[in-house]
Amino acid sequence: MGLIKAVADAVMEKAKHEVKDYLIKFMEEEKEKEKKTEEIKKEEIPAAVLKESVKAEELKEEDDEDEEILPLIESEFTKFTYKVKPKDFTIPGELADIIKMLPVEEFACFVKLMIFVFEQKKNFGYIGNTLRRKIGLESFENEKFDKTVENLEKYGVLKVEQVSDNQKTFILYVPFDEETMVKAEYQKPEKTQQKKVEKKPVKKGDEEEKPVEKQNDQQDDIPGKAVFGMENDDLYKSYRTFVSLEIDKAKMRVGRSNFDKIYMEAVKYIDKKYGFKVLSDSEKFKEYLTNYYISAFDIPTFESWKKTKV
Amino acid sequence: MLDSRILLKSLNDLEVRIMLCKSAFEWELLAKKYVDVESNIKNFFKKKKIPENFAIALDTLRASLVQKKGELPPVDLSDFFK
Repeated sequence: MGLIKAVADAVMEKAKHEVKDYLIKFMEEEKEKEKKTEEIKKEEIPAAVLKESVKAEELKEEDDEDEEILPLIESEFTKFTYKVKPKDFTIPGELADIIKMLPVEEFACFVKLMIFVFEQKKNFGYIGNTLRRKIGLESFENEKFDKTVENLEKYGVLKVEQVSDNQKTFILYVPFDEETMVKAEYQKPEKTQQKKVEKKPVKKGDEEEKPVEKQNDQQDDIPGKAVFGMENDDLYKSYRTFVSLEIDKAKMRVGRSNFDKIYMEAVKYIDKKYGFKVLSDSEKFKEYLTNYYISAFDIPTFESWKKTKV
Repeated sequence: MLDSRILLKSLNDLEVRIMLCKSAFEWELLAKKYVDVESNIKNFFKKKKIPENFAIALDTLRASLVQKKGELPPVDLSDFFK
């Protein structure tokens, strides 16, 4: 029995050593494998860097190609508004000859902008996400849209102006037609126009005409309205902020229910003065509504506000 | 005759929908519908004078649309000033 036990112990001891050796070998092999994979990775990284640099060079080349865009026309950009909106949307033959040379995306963007210009009855406005959505180019990402606009500018059919850090405006090239269009140039209001007039909108009777006259005086002061020569003025931007704050303050001052009543009067007034279509034209409605609030809440006009700042 | 009845019916339907309108978005759709119906009526009668009942219905509808616009929450101007 003692012999058998001794043999069994010896076998067990040998087995233990063999397992131990096997594990040590296994561990060493694993370490070697890891080292090899690290070395391979190190070798691959410079290759990827190379590929990236090649791509960057290709992109640069593409950019260079873009920069080579030559203007299709030597255009003079005139801001205009339609005297009377033509019944049908048409592209003048002269313009059609030019834009048919544009690449597909630029062509589509230009035509969409032109339809927008036709709808809003003026060939200028702000560039941004709102415009992108309004002209139905939601499928374009911001960068793509910006690039397309940039290209249109290079082709000479669109002019972009940087109004402030965040805002840009555009002027679309459309041949000027004296019969249907009128130039939208800013005329400095005369001193007599700057005289302070009574501002509270009147709801009934003969006095209804007063806000109408005032509306005309203040049209150039409508915040948000693109006014020639004033767009570059940072002061005007501050004025817009000022008006916004004043309206908020007035809302708090008069209370919710009174403000709702004033809004109701504003809607009725705008419908009466500018026609029903303006009510469903979001931008124009906001313009006229702001103008009404300026009048209703005794908010200084741009000119009078500017005097206090200078 | 049948056509004019259809037009009159569409005006009545629109009036009901204006009463039920609860949002600015809905209002804009109804306003567009009103403009369409108005132009359809004008085209239908062409050179003839629009009958009084149609003219009254159009006026009433326009007034209800304006009234409804005024009753809806005031338009938010914050985006406009950005």
